[in-house]
Amino acid sequence: MAVIFVQSFRFILFVLFQLFVFNQVELGFGIHLLMCPLYVFLLPFETTILVLLFVAFGMGFFIDVFSNTYGLHASSLVLMAYFRPYIFSLFAPRDEYSFLKNPTYMDMGHLWFFSSFGTLLLIHNTWFFLLESFSFRGLFYSGQKIILSFIVIYCLSLLIQRIMIRQTKK
Amino acid sequence: MQQLFAFLKRFRIFLVFLLFQVLAISTYVQYLNFPKSQYLTSASYFGGKIYGTRYEIMKHFKLEGSNKTLQQENSSLRKKSLTNLYQINRFKFQVDDTVYEQQYDFIPGLVINSSTDKVNNYFTLNTGELQGVERGMGVFSQKGVIGVVHNTSAHYAVVKSVLTKDINIDVLVLPVGLYGFLKWNGADSKRGSITGITNDLSIKKGSRVVTRGGAGVFPKGLLIGYVEKLIPVEGKPLWEVIIRFSEDYRKLDRVYVIKNLFLKEQNTLENGIQPDNKRQ
Repeated sequence: MAVIFVQSFRFILFVLFQLFVFNQVELGFGIHLLMCPLYVFLLPFETTILVLLFVAFGMGFFIDVFSNTYGLHASSLVLMAYFRPYIFSLFAPRDEYSFLKNPTYMDMGHLWFFSSFGTLLLIHNTWFFLLESFSFRGLFYSGQKIILSFIVIYCLSLLIQRIMIRQTKK
Repeated sequence: MQQLFAFLKRFRIFLVFLLFQVLAISTYVQYLNFPKSQYLTSASYFGGKIYGTRYEIMKHFKLEGSNKTLQQENSSLRKKSLTNLYQINRFKFQVDDTVYEQQYDFIPGLVINSSTDKVNNYFTLNTGELQGVERGMGVFSQKGVIGVVHNTSAHYAVVKSVLTKDINIDVLVLPVGLYGFLKWNGADSKRGSITGITNDLSIKKGSRVVTRGGAGVFPKGLLIGYVEKLIPVEGKPLWEVIIRFSEDYRKLDRVYVIKNLFLKEQNTLENGIQPDNKRQ
């Protein structure tokens, strides 16, 4: 129960911050601060994939409605949520995931976080920006957007985890 | 039947995933071209309310700049007023009001939400159907053309800005008078391009680019930007004209929605041509 409460609170926080802070920041060079993938990634390990898909769609839908992107965020978040369990099992530690831990870099280590979150974020960004431009014509510019946004979002993700989540006691 | 259930059970996750994807992408494609309702956009009651409140808070930071532009506009309007003009020929000059009939009505509005860094950018205005805003109307600010109204609700409107891929406003390059269509490449919010300009006439850098007013959405002669560069199109006798927008779309505040009072008349006249052609 407490988990649901915490996650709902986090959900609202992420949506509000995405709409009123990150969407308003324009860094240029095609960098978009899409922080919603971090929320989907940070959901507990034991979350079932159906719940993941629902939550991802809900979050994307909320952001779409308020920023006139009509399903763009929803589509890319759902794609990322769909791949999350596969990526997690691909990079699973030798003694399986402990449900007492969170999928943060503090709990799981930098290497694990980079490989799993990095892959998922890359999937998310690629889908997002290709769908946004809706063609392969501006491929170079889309590529630039994907890579540069990836770097900035990744750094910000580390910072947000540090601020928002406490490390699980060992 | 049992097999069907087994199939559904086995692939239920993928099916849910597929359902969400189809839902999201179909709304994306549909709303990009023609929004069916206002509920999924920032013109909705709730969305408009939130952005309206944010604007109420943030507007104080813009006061100085917006006062300055209003003052400039006032002074330029004052210059045009008849009472401030010196009458040279006092016997022949006559102002006859029946000569002029008002064609355009301007509805003032405030931009309460905007984006400039996406591939398709939209602005939300705090004026809507109650003020007479309708889909397809043009929007401009003191410095230049902003876009075309995409979707409306009672109190709000979403404007498809010049910074969208298929905006296609017909424009005129002055002083040569060549016309083409305004395009945007999806990347640089300060520059756009014009297609369909033949390369037989020379165009100077810094030439003014204004609206042509053919579709009845914009009056003729509204400033859009200035010519910056000419790029020859390979294999065709055409220039791709790169222009620099006169308006900084990142700093939009006060805008006007254009209501063409003769639009209906123009449309019925133009639509009347087609059936005649078919009969012949």
